[in-house]
Amino acid sequence: MLHISNLHVSVGGKPILKGIDLDVMPGEVHAIMGPNGSGKSTLAQVLAGRAGYEVTQGSVHYLDRDLFQLPPEQRARAGMFLAFQYPLEIPGVSNIQFLRTALNGVRRERGEPELDAIDFLEHVKGKLALLEMDDAFLYRSLNEGFSGGEKKRNEILQMAVLEPRLAILDETDSGLDIDALKVVARGVNALRSPDRAIVLVTHYQRLLDHIVPDRVHVLADGRIAMSGNRELALELEQRGYAWVDDVDESEEAKP
Amino acid sequence: MTVTDYSEALTRIDQPDWLAGDRHDALDRFLTAGLPDKRQEAWKYTSLDHLERAKLHPPATEGSESVCPDVTAYPGHVLLFQNGQLACHGTYLSNQFAGTLHHWHDTQAVHEHLGRVAGNGALASLNLALWQDGARVYLPANERLAMPIFAVYGAGEADAMLHPRTLAVLESGAEAVLVEHYLGQTDQPYWQNAVSEIVLGEGARLTHIRVVQEGATATHTGLTAVRLGKDSEYRALHIGLDGLLTRHDLVAMLDGPGAAVRIDGVDLTDGRRHADLRLRIGHHVPDTTSRIVYRGLADGRGRAVFDGHVVVGHDAHRTDANQNCKGLLLSRQAEIDAMPRLEIYADDVKCSHGASVGQLDTDALFYLRSRGIDEAAARRLLLEGFANEALGLLDDCHLRDWLMPGLRAALSHRTDKEERS
Repeated sequence: MLHISNLHVSVGGKPILKGIDLDVMPGEVHAIMGPNGSGKSTLAQVLAGRAGYEVTQGSVHYLDRDLFQLPPEQRARAGMFLAFQYPLEIPGVSNIQFLRTALNGVRRERGEPELDAIDFLEHVKGKLALLEMDDAFLYRSLNEGFSGGEKKRNEILQMAVLEPRLAILDETDSGLDIDALKVVARGVNALRSPDRAIVLVTHYQRLLDHIVPDRVHVLADGRIAMSGNRELALELEQRGYAWVDDVDESEEAKP
Repeated sequence: MTVTDYSEALTRIDQPDWLAGDRHDALDRFLTAGLPDKRQEAWKYTSLDHLERAKLHPPATEGSESVCPDVTAYPGHVLLFQNGQLACHGTYLSNQFAGTLHHWHDTQAVHEHLGRVAGNGALASLNLALWQDGARVYLPANERLAMPIFAVYGAGEADAMLHPRTLAVLESGAEAVLVEHYLGQTDQPYWQNAVSEIVLGEGARLTHIRVVQEGATATHTGLTAVRLGKDSEYRALHIGLDGLLTRHDLVAMLDGPGAAVRIDGVDLTDGRRHADLRLRIGHHVPDTTSRIVYRGLADGRGRAVFDGHVVVGHDAHRTDANQNCKGLLLSRQAEIDAMPRLEIYADDVKCSHGASVGQLDTDALFYLRSRGIDEAAARRLLLEGFANEALGLLDDCHLRDWLMPGLRAALSHRTDKEERS
């Protein structure tokens, strides 16, 4: 589904990603972990198509298409979704207006009929319940005045509404208390299916207690220093990221 | 325009005798003062020099060939004026409540208030001298209208000079929604110089929406003057969509304790359009409030000027005044001048203002695009969202469906242009 090959990315001339190789298959959940500054968020942003990131080497293919040929909206319509670490506040645009515009864009691409206001409400009601969100959320300005937890929940609501093929969650767990974390995890788990893939970008292991990954990768200094199964995350939690640097430096990194 | 042109225009007006003296006095005042020019502080940003050079005439007395606006497009009572004359009377309201100034000039409300609220400024005087017709709204005590009254001022004659005049008097406890729609139907230049006088009795409540959608080469100057009695409420929404040069002065005099004004304004500019909105809010007595929200958008070489001047008098204790103005610059050549001003002479007051001018947030644009919304639609959504913060009154009087298509068209026109450049 997602094939990243020798990806090098610079920001303002400074290399951040220095050769990432990663394959994500349908049905899989991958966790990308790493200390601050390791390039986790850069990877997520580059995949979603944010401006200001320069790809200097390598390639990314998504569903056999060259990802970098697609503008951000085309990536989204092809089923890619990024849950933002810092969702933006957009005054004057209601959540419902935004969600419906977004969903209808995706539906047009899939060759499905657009939903009118009533059908859309029907579509979104169940998703709201899943995330324990009140209907009132729909009529508020997009993220404006939302608490940190509400914003993250709203990201997952968008994901649930858009039903992406590949969801990338950028530090969705940061700033959430344990109850909110469980709600968000439930929303993500509800989306797991054999034809979908999920990439979790996170600093901490605790999210992985609730969304259990198939593969765990540890990013250090712009490269994947280690890959393993979920035990790797637990070991990291015990030993700290300094351990990765040590292993990396002694060149014992597993492929 | 010469003195003779203006004097000649006055001779062509069919008028009742009792108004003739006032008209001549008003014309004298205008001719003495002349058109406002940039040396006057209040006209620093907006020049009317082109009117000085133009050769304009009063509208032809016989119906011109321009197409009349569709009266069914207005969800309420309609008084539709075309080139200065009543073209359609789409209301079943009693003539006592809503009629034309021309036919219903000889009423107490007109005798009492016409020309007494707008002051003696040059352009207001010119209007008083040369007005031909306009809407007259009079609501007796406690009369509450369920549907809005639309006063539509259509202009379709090249080089015409129009002076529409509106008078609305609401006696104590009366309530209404009044919409003025200035609508250009020609790409040729013309000038509308409008004056609206509004008098609110104790506890009266008026929602006043003013949409300026003049022709692309037209000039619009307008004055709205409002006198507020005790515990009355005036809520206004100014929407500037089109016209080469548009200027709107809104003067609110809070003369009764407990009076409240809320003024929202949105101006869209692009091309070489210049829009100037100037508010003068006078808190004259204790316990009055004012709320101002302005959103200006400027694209191309467009320019939006906002001057919000709030004056709190010596006796206006416990005044509560707040204004919030924001500008959005959409091109390098565009300009926005936002000037919130507070002048406070009383001690015990709660006043605040804020102003900011910025550009479209590229992060917000990316956020919307990352959800599958294409760039043009995302821009439209952001621009509409920006304007929306000043459009809340549309929901209160159920006019969002009526106005938004026009506003969206004006916004997408701007978005498309941006893409081409």
